[in-house]
Amino acid sequence: MLIDAHVRPALFEPICRDRYRFNSRCDAMHYHKMNPSGMDLLKKQYNLAGITGVFLLPSDYSFDTGITEISNDDIAEIVAQDPNLYYGFATVDPRNKNAATELTKAFEDLGLCGLYLNTARLHIYPEDTQILAILDICREYGKNVIFHAGLSFERDALSKYSRPIEFESVISKYPGINFCLTHMGWPWVQETSALLLKYPNAYANTALMNFDGPYQIYRKVFLEDMGELWVEHNLSEKILFGSGSPRIRPVRSKRGLDSIGFSEEILEKIYYGNAKRFLGSKEN
Amino acid sequence: MKYLLKEETVCADKEFELIKITNNVRNFVDESGVVNGICFCITEHTTTGITVNESLPCVEKDIMETLDRIIPENYPYNHNHYLDSYGTIGGNAPGHLKSLLTGNHCVFPIIDGALMLGHADDIYFCEYDGIKLRRYMIYVIGE
Repeated sequence: MLIDAHVRPALFEPICRDRYRFNSRCDAMHYHKMNPSGMDLLKKQYNLAGITGVFLLPSDYSFDTGITEISNDDIAEIVAQDPNLYYGFATVDPRNKNAATELTKAFEDLGLCGLYLNTARLHIYPEDTQILAILDICREYGKNVIFHAGLSFERDALSKYSRPIEFESVISKYPGINFCLTHMGWPWVQETSALLLKYPNAYANTALMNFDGPYQIYRKVFLEDMGELWVEHNLSEKILFGSGSPRIRPVRSKRGLDSIGFSEEILEKIYYGNAKRFLGSKEN
Repeated sequence: MKYLLKEETVCADKEFELIKITNNVRNFVDESGVVNGICFCITEHTTTGITVNESLPCVEKDIMETLDRIIPENYPYNHNHYLDSYGTIGGNAPGHLKSLLTGNHCVFPIIDGALMLGHADDIYFCEYDGIKLRRYMIYVIGE
């Protein structure tokens, strides 16, 4: 059993029919020279990696661009194709006046299972009142939240809005919501680790993609940037496997993580158990 | 003189796989009506290959395992880094290098309307970076 907790479905064929929108999306999200992938091909790739669950993360900065790159309807359309495989996350641009209405609709009508936000793209800090209004809705509906954390390769993204430590206030303010920080908050991996250590509702995912290939980057982050026993001794229940597809193929990402010597027990948690626990939390 | 091109699609079931395509090539030669000429089979990708070898499971296994020994997955290749022109991690250096070893094409004569293969010859599409939808060309020139 393996859940990939970080997939951007930018290239999923069913939502790539409008070529103008597809090109705008790829330009904004910084995906180039790549073509849409059919759903059958994606399933073959998931089977190859042993993936049995996929978190689908949307993209909406329409306050700036006027175009929703990956909408809640897009996510719902993909989830409907295989509800046992896909976990669809909602998003809204909190700067839009109808953000609250749209998020409520995504939870009530589309049945999406949580919220994804990238504050680096939004150019607002996590404790901005516009974000807090959105998080209040998540608390009301018992939905958990994935925040992009650390460097983002997407266009106009600024890391100062997504440094892991900037999320501490909301993680603290909403103890009943589980928060997952993506990419281990790279390059501020130690800030992420500190939050994971302190807050029971703080999680992070392994979607690492920057320097080196997967054999090198996981070793650097988990055994050098972090103490080599930090995961084994303290954080084994706080880290979710995430590939970061399509920037890296899931099977390669997993192979890199497999190679660094975590025990089978730890890997089972990272690959499956922690994702299930992250999804299952409700407001106390 | 005829110049005939066909593009075939192929999708492996595994990340690394030898896929026999001899019959596809032979069928196109038959359809072409060319009696005397030449046939090229060419992959369109740089992390795949076209090669010719004997279709025995042990030989196929030896080919793939030898390529893995020469070009291991976990070597720190120069290509393993963030590629801004793609927005992705270049994680397929072994595929590029294996492609280098098997080459991108094979060539056979067409004599009296038939593809002239050696008695042990089979043509393979070599997937070194799957799973992806791939294409290769069959190009027939002759009369």
